[in-house]
Amino acid sequence: MPFYLNVLGVECTYGAVKVIDGMTLAISQGSFAGIIGPNGSGKSTLLRCISRALKPVRGTVLLEGESLYSLGSREAARKMAVVPQETAVNFPFTVEEIIMMGRSPHLGRFQVEGEKDFEIAGRSMDLTNTRHLAGRLITALSGGERQRVIIAKALAQEPELILLDEPTSHLDINQQVEILSLLQRMNKESGLTILAVFHDLNLAAQYCDRMVLMQRGQAYQVGKPEEVLTADNIKEVYGTRVLIKKHPVTGRPTVFLLTQGGQETAGKGRIHVICGGGAGAAVLGLLAGLGYEVSAGVLNAGDIDWETASFLELRMTEEDPFSDISDRSHKENLEMLRGADACVLVSIPFGRGNLKNLEAASQACEWGKPVLLVEEQEIEERDFTGGEAAQRYNQLKRQGAFVLRDRAEVPDVLAGLLPVRT
Amino acid sequence: MKPQSRVWRWRMITGTLFLVLGLLVIICSTIGPAQISPVDVLAMLLRKVPWVGSIVPRGDWPQSHETIIFQMRLARVILAVLVGAGLASSGVVLQGLLQNSLADPYILGISSGAALGATVAMLFGLGAHVLGVFALPLIAFAGAVVTAFSVYNLARVGGRVQVSTLILAGIAVGSFLSAVTSYLMITGGQNIHQVVFWLMGGLAGRGWDHVAVLAPYIVIGLAIMLLNVRNLNAMLLGDEPAQHLGIDVERLKQVMLMAATLTAAAAVAVSGVIGFVGLIIPHAVRLVVGPDHRVLLPSAALAGAIFLVAADALARVAAAPEEIPVGVITALCGGPFFIYLLRKKKEPGF
Repeated sequence: MPFYLNVLGVECTYGAVKVIDGMTLAISQGSFAGIIGPNGSGKSTLLRCISRALKPVRGTVLLEGESLYSLGSREAARKMAVVPQETAVNFPFTVEEIIMMGRSPHLGRFQVEGEKDFEIAGRSMDLTNTRHLAGRLITALSGGERQRVIIAKALAQEPELILLDEPTSHLDINQQVEILSLLQRMNKESGLTILAVFHDLNLAAQYCDRMVLMQRGQAYQVGKPEEVLTADNIKEVYGTRVLIKKHPVTGRPTVFLLTQGGQETAGKGRIHVICGGGAGAAVLGLLAGLGYEVSAGVLNAGDIDWETASFLELRMTEEDPFSDISDRSHKENLEMLRGADACVLVSIPFGRGNLKNLEAASQACEWGKPVLLVEEQEIEERDFTGGEAAQRYNQLKRQGAFVLRDRAEVPDVLAGLLPVRT
Repeated sequence: MKPQSRVWRWRMITGTLFLVLGLLVIICSTIGPAQISPVDVLAMLLRKVPWVGSIVPRGDWPQSHETIIFQMRLARVILAVLVGAGLASSGVVLQGLLQNSLADPYILGISSGAALGATVAMLFGLGAHVLGVFALPLIAFAGAVVTAFSVYNLARVGGRVQVSTLILAGIAVGSFLSAVTSYLMITGGQNIHQVVFWLMGGLAGRGWDHVAVLAPYIVIGLAIMLLNVRNLNAMLLGDEPAQHLGIDVERLKQVMLMAATLTAAAAVAVSGVIGFVGLIIPHAVRLVVGPDHRVLLPSAALAGAIFLVAADALARVAAAPEEIPVGVITALCGGPFFIYLLRKKKEPGF
């Protein structure tokens, strides 16, 4: 099948700077394609080039096999509409007047918009949920409303292809979702081909069926979201370490950032975190992000701490869902503790099932390892064993464990206890 | 709004303005030392119209009245119509093209260029022996056009004209030329009074010759502007969005800038620098009829004509028998109105 849009070896320059450097890309009709890439990789320039605002110095763009640049302006405007990042209108046009401008490529020089044009504009308003704004002034709208109006104008052009340059980057998430869902519906129902530049990788992954990852004016990779959005690709193109996980609901790849320190892991030491339920998730993320080698235990499979640990790809001691800590997992937990440089016991509630966790912490104290107790809630309030847990817990304090009132203090205390080894 | 009713609204607005202008032309023709009634003026005018003329009976006015109206007053009123319409429509087009509601016909340095041309012509009597009364307007026109052309080319980088560069180039070149004009006025000697009077803008002493010189520019200029009027709407969204609506933006800019420049340059050459008409009238009319150029441009042209005819009448009678330059009247009205608009900044359109 021949492709609808072909970018063939395009080279674009701004003055002496080459921004697009031999870009080649093919988009088939009816696809929802997203262009991603770091700043300066040439995303918007590529879009300007396809929108005919910028002529390439070399190469060409074909629309249905025909050179885009040999089309007449009006003919091109009947096939292709463009939605910029932001549109500043300084003159008091009404929303309806703006949307009617979308009809101008279909009108003769002296032709005034007729019933049919008003009908088409009305349909665009219904689709974009802007009919109630029809009589309002464009200058008095919010950013989200204005962007919907501009999209309505683009739809009034009745295009086959719509180009968008970061159409939602100035909008709140609800408006982002609204606008992109609208485009998705247009794409599915009317077969509108969409090519959009995205800044937000997750937004792109959610909506696009095809993605183009750009690097230094070229296509680094083109393909399905799960092919393009890989940790390796992002590391290579953006130079940032990320985790890619499937979105739990949509199954689309989703990018998670590893915070600042996540870049260097070597030499900071191993920390074993005793947690469970969901009380440890934040500490696990925090320490992993700071570059510590983190292990966790004993976690019941499927709970939030377990999910977090597996998500962060940490070593951990697992127990079956909703089960007490068995001797086997207790032993494994102790093994991990023995290899660790420090132990953190987060503010978890204690019942009969997880008393062994306190035993493990006590063992760590005996081994002379620093033990940090994160005590965000008094032990008595989270003791569901009738006093036994509290007694053992307080024993830990006598054994020399450090008591912290806030999990946020953990990194500072650890930094003091564990000097960086080189 | 339904398509039909919208077109009707446009017709109503322009029709009303046209009627007002007609009435005003008649009323202002009656102003002067000789008492001539409006009815007589109307009858005199109708008698000149083919078909209708033969039905209208000749009243009992003296022949001298007919001479006064046709030889003296009417020419000046018609000139005010042309200059007012030219300046206002040129202002509308430039505000639209430059996407800036503070632009006016003089933004490309037309006024400074014309002023320098006029000053040179007056101080050195340049070309007077060859061109007669037309020496002054022709040299002023040449000054205006050359200036606008240079500013346009200064602002053109790589085949494209950036709006901000255009405005800055206009200011820079304008200031330079004004400085030269001032220098010439200081050193030029005895004709300085005449120069100052011209710079303030006025229609005193102009006749049918001037109308004949000016009319083609205004008519052709207005026609070109009206032909491209819908595309001007899209220009208000910005250059690239307009291009994406199928408009050849650079070509439109060239054609419209040329039409607006020639129209304004011709008006200035004939009448001197009449300020504020090209700035205030587009503004005021936009507030009333909205920004759609299909109704804004003709309405502003008519309103500009109405305003200048009225202002010129005031210039004649306010300090009679002395005449005030009409530019003084327009600035007196325009200045406060402009300040009012600036204070209303929250109003959309700024």
